[in-house]
Amino acid sequence: MNLHIIHANIIRANIIVSIKSFYREKTVVFFRIAFPVILILVFGTIFMERDNEIFALRIQDLDQTTSSEQLVAAIGLSRRFNITQVSPEADAKQYARDNKLNLIVIIPKNFEMSLIEKMTADNFETPVTLTKIYDPGSFGVTTKIGVLDMVLAKINQEMSGKPPLIASEPVSILKKKYRFIEFFVPGIIAMAVMTASLFGTVNVNAELLQKGVIRKLSTTPITRIDWILSNILYQFILAVVSTAVMLLVSYAVFKVSLEINAWLVVFVALDVFAFVGLGMILTRVAREAESASAAADALMFPMMFLSGTFFPVEMMPEFLQAFARILPLYYVNEGLRAAMIAVDHTAALKSALIIGAFAAVVFVFGIMITKSGGETA
Amino acid sequence: MTKNSKYAIEVNNLTKRYKGLSAVDNISFTVERGEVFALLGPNGAGKTTTVEILNTIRKPTSGKVFLLGMDVTEKKYDIIPRIGVLPQGFSSFDRITVKETLQYYSRLFCRRKPDIQGLMALVNLKDKAAVQYKNLSGGLKQRLGIAVALVNDPEIVFLDEPTTGLDPLARRAMWEVLLDLKKKGKTLFLTTHYMEEAELLADTVAIVKKGKISAMGSPGELIENNADYLVVMLKSVDETVFDIVKKMGFAPGYDSHGDIKVRLTHADDVRRMLNAVREGGASFTGLNVRKPNLEEVFLKLTDDSLMEKSAGIEAAQ
Ligand SMILES: Nc1ncnc2c1ncn2[C@@H]1O[C@H](COP(=O)(O)OP(=O)(O)O)[C@@H](O)[C@H]1O
Ligand SMILES: [Mg+2]
Repeated sequence: MNLHIIHANIIRANIIVSIKSFYREKTVVFFRIAFPVILILVFGTIFMERDNEIFALRIQDLDQTTSSEQLVAAIGLSRRFNITQVSPEADAKQYARDNKLNLIVIIPKNFEMSLIEKMTADNFETPVTLTKIYDPGSFGVTTKIGVLDMVLAKINQEMSGKPPLIASEPVSILKKKYRFIEFFVPGIIAMAVMTASLFGTVNVNAELLQKGVIRKLSTTPITRIDWILSNILYQFILAVVSTAVMLLVSYAVFKVSLEINAWLVVFVALDVFAFVGLGMILTRVAREAESASAAADALMFPMMFLSGTFFPVEMMPEFLQAFARILPLYYVNEGLRAAMIAVDHTAALKSALIIGAFAAVVFVFGIMITKSGGETA
Repeated sequence: MTKNSKYAIEVNNLTKRYKGLSAVDNISFTVERGEVFALLGPNGAGKTTTVEILNTIRKPTSGKVFLLGMDVTEKKYDIIPRIGVLPQGFSSFDRITVKETLQYYSRLFCRRKPDIQGLMALVNLKDKAAVQYKNLSGGLKQRLGIAVALVNDPEIVFLDEPTTGLDPLARRAMWEVLLDLKKKGKTLFLTTHYMEEAELLADTVAIVKKGKISAMGSPGELIENNADYLVVMLKSVDETVFDIVKKMGFAPGYDSHGDIKVRLTHADDVRRMLNAVREGGASFTGLNVRKPNLEEVFLKLTDDSLMEKSAGIEAAQ
């Protein structure tokens, strides 16, 4: 295949064939379009509840007095807990283990008495203590305890009748309230476009190479650059469709407040460009279909988990953060979030330049090593 | 040499080396317009290497190749629109139908009004127009490959082992198509390891062995020039016959029917051999002395262990 010439009609012919092959292969359609949507629905639902979660809370009232009842009612008034009473006869630890509970609050036996004692004596040195039986291995119990302590602090303060000395008010760095789902959706878009571009390209090209279709193509006027551009445009069309579906579902189901602007198109295009190019290189270098897919796997997995798709990179240890900064997907994530959440054009531009430079290098290298079919196939 | 050349194909001292192995070793030949030329040789003889150099997709190590008067190493993009290629083991997009495949390849050649119906009729695929490639039988896939090779109405058509792997019926159907092309006056360049195929289709056959052309000419000429021996067939149930013939210094073998087959150079040898058999007290029930056929000539030219290979070829067919 020749290097220099671009034929628009040949590229169009390739795209028609690719798209027909795509929609006639139903499993491919499922993985391409439905799979990312399912990811969004599943993770979105899990984390949606987390955002304004009402925790299930078990309380064991060993005191059984008006005061202890009032305390339970007060905790309930916070609207953060769905309270169930545990029978005073039960052994709390055993009960927690048996019922897989991560937290039981125990109101001690002479709760009312001690409370009255302290209030009449105006003695606040040693507080009345509630016991929290908890499972340190449980994911999310820390948040639950944190919320409980907050609620208790408020009750304390109301009971002692003193206004707080220090108050705090949260002011977001973003214009709008932003939930986990708003963080998550751009990450899934970046990841879905990356995996589909990389694997789509590797699978299709490795198969065509192995079956000798590329060899046949090299006896036609198609050029290398035609072929690479056909792959890129085809993947871009699919990426646009897939992204649109992901966004529609996110708006419809989770009412996300994500900004749609030209940056979205820019980052999807750069994502496609970079990873189709990488896919072409892998197909060429690996020669065998299996090793090309294995190489794609090896590149993709660290990228999926370390470049901030599922959780912010800042949650990782320093050295992993440094590693994330050399991963191209990190910049797609950063750029998309800058564009869609914060609407920070400078930050988006910075990411776009980095991923754009990467894509350009890959593209040029890809053209250089995409040889004519006959010589090596 | 871009002027209108007399030859469709002109190959001068072509050599292709792969790390010490000469896949093609200093071969020369010419093919005239309208001629059907067959490169006949066993696997690994260098047929595909030769064809792919002619198709501009491999580079020669040395030598010159001109297609329609143009150097293949310099005029790739002038040559490609004027040739049609059926590569060895042709394959296409699984999910694309016969008709769509032809449309696709027509578009690659920027054909404005391709005669898709005509192409499908030519290879007898009209009733398969809407069938996806992966659902075609081997023979039909191969015929689609021929139609694809013709989308640009090429001046020379290259067919690299067009019938390998096909069953006898599909092979015959393919030959019909190729004979049709021949009748239309297309220049065909064909490779095969089937003697029959070369004999049926080709005006000129070049027999290649280990990268070299060992003989070239029309099928008739090849027999004439290389049939410098006699083939003697002995039908016998007596096993001593074989040993007696062998002791005389000849190289007998068994053919696929279990008959003894011997290559003898002189008519005298026949008499001597028959006498020896009779004196040895052995008997035979049938005798046939004849000139070799083209297949035997081919085998002699490509491989000297005649009998072994012969059985192999017959089994393959
Ligand atoms: N790309 C290559 N690299 C190294 N050796 C090759 C290559 N292509 C072909 N050969 C060798 O060249 C010889 C001729 O191969 P080929 O032209 O395919 O023969 P044929 O088509 O007649 O079966 C074989 O020995 C083959 O192994
Ligand atoms: Mg071959």
